[in-house]
Amino acid sequence: MTKRRPVVAVVDDDPRLLESLEDLLESAGYAARTFSSAHLFLVNGLSGFDALITDIGMPDMDGFELRDLVIKSRPGLPVFMITGRHEIADQSRAQGISGFFRKPFDGQLLLAAIGDALPESKHGGRT
Amino acid sequence: MRFNHSGIKVGRTRLEQPMMDVWSHRPQILHLALFFAAYVLGCGFAQALAIVPGITVSIWPPAGVFIATLILTSPYSWPWWVLAGCLAEMTGQILWFHSPPLAGFLIYVGNALCAIVGATLVNRAFGRPVRLETLREVLAFVVLGAGVAPLMSATVGSATLAWFGVKSQTFAGVWPLFWIGDATGILLVAPLALVVIQHWRNRTKFSAVRWVEAGSLGLIFLGLAALSLKHDFLLSAYIIMPPILWAAVRFEFKGVAVALTLLALVTMTLTISGGSQFVGDPETQRQKQVMLQLFLAISAFSALIVAAISRQHQQALLALRDREQELSQLVDMVPVHIRRLTPEGKPTFFNKRLLDFFGMSDIAQLDKPDMNRLAAAIQTLVHPDDAPRLLATVHTSLATGESFAMKYRMRRADGAYRWVDGRGEAVRDQHGAIMQWYAISIDVDDEMRAQEDLRDRERELSQLVDMVPSLLWRLSPNGEPNFFNKRTIDFLGLDVADYDKPGASRLKATLTAIIHPDDAAGMIQTLNRCLVSGEHFSMQYRLRRADGLYRWVSARAEPLRDESGHIVQWYGLAHDIDDQMRAEEALRGLAITAIALNACRSLDEVLRTITDRAREIIGAHMAVIGTTVDQRWAQAIQAVSLSQKYAAYRGFDAKPDGSGIYGLVCNLNRSLRLTEAELKDHPAWRGYGGHADQHPPLRGWLAAPLIDSNGQNIGLLQLSDKDQGEFTAEDEGIAVQLAQMASLAITEARLHDKLRLAQETLARASQAASLAELSASVAHEVNQPLAAIVANSHACQRWLTAEPPNLDRAQKTVERIIRDANSAADVVSRIRALFKQSAETRTSMPLDSVIAEALNLMAEETARRRIRLDVDVESDLPLVSLDRVQIQQVLVNLIRNGMEAMDAAANDRLLGIRTRRLGDVVQTEITDQGPGVAFSDRIFEPFFTTKGNGMGMGLAICRSIVEAHGGRLWADKNEPYGAMFAFTLPVEMNRST
Repeated sequence: MTKRRPVVAVVDDDPRLLESLEDLLESAGYAARTFSSAHLFLVNGLSGFDALITDIGMPDMDGFELRDLVIKSRPGLPVFMITGRHEIADQSRAQGISGFFRKPFDGQLLLAAIGDALPESKHGGRT
Repeated sequence: MRFNHSGIKVGRTRLEQPMMDVWSHRPQILHLALFFAAYVLGCGFAQALAIVPGITVSIWPPAGVFIATLILTSPYSWPWWVLAGCLAEMTGQILWFHSPPLAGFLIYVGNALCAIVGATLVNRAFGRPVRLETLREVLAFVVLGAGVAPLMSATVGSATLAWFGVKSQTFAGVWPLFWIGDATGILLVAPLALVVIQHWRNRTKFSAVRWVEAGSLGLIFLGLAALSLKHDFLLSAYIIMPPILWAAVRFEFKGVAVALTLLALVTMTLTISGGSQFVGDPETQRQKQVMLQLFLAISAFSALIVAAISRQHQQALLALRDREQELSQLVDMVPVHIRRLTPEGKPTFFNKRLLDFFGMSDIAQLDKPDMNRLAAAIQTLVHPDDAPRLLATVHTSLATGESFAMKYRMRRADGAYRWVDGRGEAVRDQHGAIMQWYAISIDVDDEMRAQEDLRDRERELSQLVDMVPSLLWRLSPNGEPNFFNKRTIDFLGLDVADYDKPGASRLKATLTAIIHPDDAAGMIQTLNRCLVSGEHFSMQYRLRRADGLYRWVSARAEPLRDESGHIVQWYGLAHDIDDQMRAEEALRGLAITAIALNACRSLDEVLRTITDRAREIIGAHMAVIGTTVDQRWAQAIQAVSLSQKYAAYRGFDAKPDGSGIYGLVCNLNRSLRLTEAELKDHPAWRGYGGHADQHPPLRGWLAAPLIDSNGQNIGLLQLSDKDQGEFTAEDEGIAVQLAQMASLAITEARLHDKLRLAQETLARASQAASLAELSASVAHEVNQPLAAIVANSHACQRWLTAEPPNLDRAQKTVERIIRDANSAADVVSRIRALFKQSAETRTSMPLDSVIAEALNLMAEETARRRIRLDVDVESDLPLVSLDRVQIQQVLVNLIRNGMEAMDAAANDRLLGIRTRRLGDVVQTEITDQGPGVAFSDRIFEPFFTTKGNGMGMGLAICRSIVEAHGGRLWADKNEPYGAMFAFTLPVEMNRST
């Protein structure tokens, strides 16, 4: 019980998706913190998170820009990107990225990917 | 003695012990002195009665004194008495007898031997202390003390007299006189001495009457003695016997002692005075002396015997009285009520305890004039409820002679009734005839009340056990069921004994009968394991209810152990968790269904999945989805799921016509749940169409309407013939949810169809956006809620499969799924409206009415955004041919764009709308005071957006629509700032001209 649950940040401009991802992550034993924009996420600061899930198509700052910023200050932080626009997924800059999910994505696969990216976490959420 | 004690040590133990005893047993000087005086007095008395000259004595009272003294004292003190006696006799010799000293001493030796032998024999014969209270004791005393002992003194004394030739006496001549003299002395004096000495202290007080009697007796005695013993006055001295015997009878030994003393004194007096008839001439002297001796001896002997007999009789009477008193005390003392009845049943005795109980002093108080005592007693003293029964029981026993036993209530003196246990038994004589009846009763009121309390408590406990809303049961240590509470019996509807089957254990037979066949084997195995090992039993299984339905129960059983740890009983408890289990199952089923629907590739597949799942979750033989288009069943889509029972109907595809109960549900747009009976009686139910003869009866009927996003009915989901029992409210809830899923799927499918159509139309009409671009945009808009739905479905599944299932979270998640699915439908609905295009919908109308409608639609939003409108529509505008909804959408889109552009503006939010005819077109301009448009060309490209929540399609589509109408849409700068969007629509030429 003393072991801290891994915290996953979720950034998406669609509140429904934030809600569902929060639910999914909690059902797998993670703690989720949701942000409706990249800006709000950055204001909050990067420390205290074990992984980041971000939408790509967002106003002001899109998912790619956010990812680049985050990786600069926290190189090891696993970042997962999700998008509803499949044409983006086909773009060259999205190629070769492992943590890439098209909406609607398979929740189990997403959880599996997060679990793999957090090897030190051996908690029982991933069943 | 001191000398021995201090000087000689050798042989001391041998000799010293008796010496010490003799010394330590020395009598008091006073006693020795009294003895000495009595002895000397006796010697004098003997001298006075000496009739025959030369023969010293006719009666020898010292012998009696001596023997009585020795009888009463310890043999160790005897030497002292012998010494004192010797001194006394020597004194007598000196005073009266004047025998030669040696002869006198030898005679004394004989006397001492007589006393020692007599005392020893008497003590031996009846032990100490000598009481002379029974005939046997008196006889022993007379024979041994007065008969045998004087043999010694007579022999030694006669021999001495003969040897010394005192008064020329011969041995044979003097021996009998000597013997009788000693015997008489002993008979006369020893009893007196014994009585006087023994009763010296505990002298009983005589009553006045006794004293009078004693006094009169004394006078009669003295008178008679004087007369009878007087010389020749009466025929015989023995006339004196009656008073002596009277004294013996009435006053026993005391009387005898006094009488004999008086007799001796009278005799002595008369003899001394010469008036006695025993005084005669010398020839008859010897004979007279013998006669005197015999007279005294016989008197003493007779009186002693009579006294002994009287005494013994008195003792017997006393003993009897003591025993009676003891018995009577016992009867009153035992804590039992005792009564005695005559053989006819009349109570003749109540013991004191019983009288006290009733508060009576005498049994006669029970008597009543016109009733026998038994009936009266029972009527008065026994509780009215018990009295007739008791009376009948007693009468029966009296008639048959058999004992009886019965518990009844008796009324105590204070009026309280007490329970008693009564028993009666006859006492019979040797011939078996009943002499009387004894009846006893014991107070058992406390026990009865305790038993009653116990029964009350047991009943309460049993009520409590029956009230517990669980099934309770009890097994013996080897598993025999020996108790079911009422709820269990009601639930199972069984009499436990019903399951006794030969060949199988009762437990196994019972369990096999009441547990679902799939669960029975496992449950029996587990329970048997627990019975053997003693570990707790805990399991969930299905139990068959009385109506044949199987219900899930959660059961537990624990052993009750005694102090040594042995199992005494097993207590089991089961509670019905069927509703909970089914709710969990249903929720799980719903979530699985939601996920399964994602994998469906066609609407048919979706509906088939839903019907299958509905049938499975709710547990029915048949599930149907029927859909309508605009309430017309003719276009219905059908999905039917049938169980094995309905296999024969799988080919059945006759379409319903909507006029029956299906139509009712769709018209009401509400779910409907009917039992079999309700269905048959329902006015809208018309059997099974043309198949009534082949159709099995339906066990219940349940339908939920399919409703689209506008609230319109589009069909129904219907289930019939439930596997077990009737459909429940929970089933109805599940059906409604599944119907909602089906509604969404149908709506979505239909919208997809229409969207496809719209896209095709759009593609034909507009070259602005490629089909691929459009579809990508639409897909994004739909994918957004779909992604949420899928993620939520996965979450829901995880909540449900968690251990334990988190039903609250699952429920919440399912609600979100439904909400998001609706939202997806809305998206599609909006897109459909945008793309709807068909030639038929074009009508000729003035544009101002369309503008008015659009502004009306936006009125609420305008007010909310605090936008001021400046509308300038030219009057008499020519008609234009247009698709009203599409143009409306263009207007709404442009107005909203303008309003949104001013969201950030702090200044006056003015939105202008201006419409006028410019040649053969009608031009409409929408102006805002926002930041303006940077890329006036690019904004019309699909997916270009400057807004956070836009889909980037609005302007592209608007341009498509306008161009499809033959018009133009462009953007420009507004003066002094902001943006201006303008579009034209061609005037309908043939109308305008």
